[in-house]
Amino acid sequence: MGPKEKLPAHRVRTVILPAFRKVGLVPLFQQWSSSRPLWICLSRLGSLHLIVRGPRFLGEGSVIWGNYVRIHPYPARARRNRTRSAPIPGGIQRIVNLTLENASSFTALLELPATQAVELLHLSQSEEGTQAPPSGDIFQGIGDDHKPYLPSFDGNLTFPSNRALIEAAAKFSVFAAGENSPETSSVPSNSSANLGKVKSEPAETDSNPNSSQPLVPDPTVENKTQRSAKRKEQRKRAKGLRRRARTRALKKLRKLPYRHSELVAARREKINARMKLLQELVPGCSKVRLCLLDYAAFNNGFVPVTFSQKRCFCGKISGTALVLDEIINHVQSLQRQVEFLSMRLAAVNPRIDFNLDSLFATEGGPLVDSNFPSMASLSTVSRNPIQWNREQYQQQCPFDALHQPFWGREEDNHTFHFSRELPFES
Amino acid sequence: MESESQQRIYSTKLVEALRHVRQNSLPTSKSPSGREIRHAADRVLAVAAKGRTRWSRAILASRLSLRLANSRKHRKAKPGKVTGCSRLKRPEKKRSLPAVQKKVKVLGRLVPGCRKVSFPNLLEEATDYIAALEMQVRAMMRSPSSSPVRRSIGSAPALTCKALA
Repeated sequence: MGPKEKLPAHRVRTVILPAFRKVGLVPLFQQWSSSRPLWICLSRLGSLHLIVRGPRFLGEGSVIWGNYVRIHPYPARARRNRTRSAPIPGGIQRIVNLTLENASSFTALLELPATQAVELLHLSQSEEGTQAPPSGDIFQGIGDDHKPYLPSFDGNLTFPSNRALIEAAAKFSVFAAGENSPETSSVPSNSSANLGKVKSEPAETDSNPNSSQPLVPDPTVENKTQRSAKRKEQRKRAKGLRRRARTRALKKLRKLPYRHSELVAARREKINARMKLLQELVPGCSKVRLCLLDYAAFNNGFVPVTFSQKRCFCGKISGTALVLDEIINHVQSLQRQVEFLSMRLAAVNPRIDFNLDSLFATEGGPLVDSNFPSMASLSTVSRNPIQWNREQYQQQCPFDALHQPFWGREEDNHTFHFSRELPFES
Repeated sequence: MESESQQRIYSTKLVEALRHVRQNSLPTSKSPSGREIRHAADRVLAVAAKGRTRWSRAILASRLSLRLANSRKHRKAKPGKVTGCSRLKRPEKKRSLPAVQKKVKVLGRLVPGCRKVSFPNLLEEATDYIAALEMQVRAMMRSPSSSPVRRSIGSAPALTCKALA
């Protein structure tokens, strides 16, 4: 920390700092110049942001925040924030100009309480791509005391163009992403040294994907598979980010896609494919060709089905509602069958405790010679009880308990009845 | 949809489960009710599904919660709250009528654990569930039948449903 110097600090505190405080930024480094001040701020989460003043959207990584452009380390978030701008009290620009002229310094800012520090960058569009006046000019206005604190930057701190700014932002993302919160505490002290280091390393493994990856893929060019693959990629990358950035990036991915019609078509295909599978499973609809479902019914709102009934070639009426009817009936019948069979097994099992294995394995077991008509009775089931001779069956087979036409609530009564009567065989 | 090997696996597991049920019910010397057997069979089915599907997870979860609830019930029998039917007090509003939506809800209720599932996922779950149920029926029918009357599983329920209807 350098010698404390009196800024027009009150101005900074009352106007500029609150504005940054709203966004939760803490300035770490400030590079003053009359034309392009560059501020590097630390957010509450530990991500680094470049703040540049500019009137409009500078590039992928930049965010317009009032009059100031924040070069965001996470471009995905930046794009979403584009429309949002923190209310900056009017006159900041004027004040910044004044302070610039007064050559406030980094160290002076550092003195300020961390939550109040604000750095504003000033980057005019006209100066894009042009080499700004050498940094030495900036510091002329600054007292000599501060020069020792910014010597390493003299050579490096050329005024960045947009791309350079974005690259710097990307590097800062590396810087921020690579080092977690324990690092952030040391950032204020290291920032000056690290900045030079970071800037001198143009090729970072992470910065390249960050800066070079097109985040808005052209939907017309790619087909769906590519898009889904790209989205998976994005998702993977989103997962690599930190918590807040991750949730935002993922939310954004979820809210995609790029065109509503494509989304509708995708859902349509999904639903159609599954209905086809179901129709193959459910016997009632197998012959009926899958007619076009009414997609509006499955979109956000449900629509009455009357217009979805169509006649297919085999003369049967089919439609969404009917197919669903069939499916429901089938599921219900299967469940009833399971209940019935479990009832039967419950009645059967007292007799055949230990032959179950053989039963299930050989599918016949020791009961091959019994001549009870197993499930044939089921096919002719009716509400009337089957006429059969109990004694005869008792002798021959232990399974006459199964011969009851029980559907519905008659089951329990019948099983009780017959299980009492049947003699136990050891 | 289900292969023969899966059928065999399910059958063996079903036998095991039934034997367990037998042993559990023997001390009380009452034959296990159909309901218990059915629950056991459903559980085995859910296990055989390996938890990839939603309904299987719901079946397994419901068993656990049921057991907890039962154990709590045995510990203390709380007097039930007498609140009365709220529907009587407030006139019931007519819900939205689209038939498809109603049917979707019914289907959601039938498939365990799929009440608030989106429609395409519900269809998928229903597909798996129907296949699993068919396998279950086949396995249970196979067991104590002497001459296995192999019919298509679809025809019998159709007949019986029509008989009932």
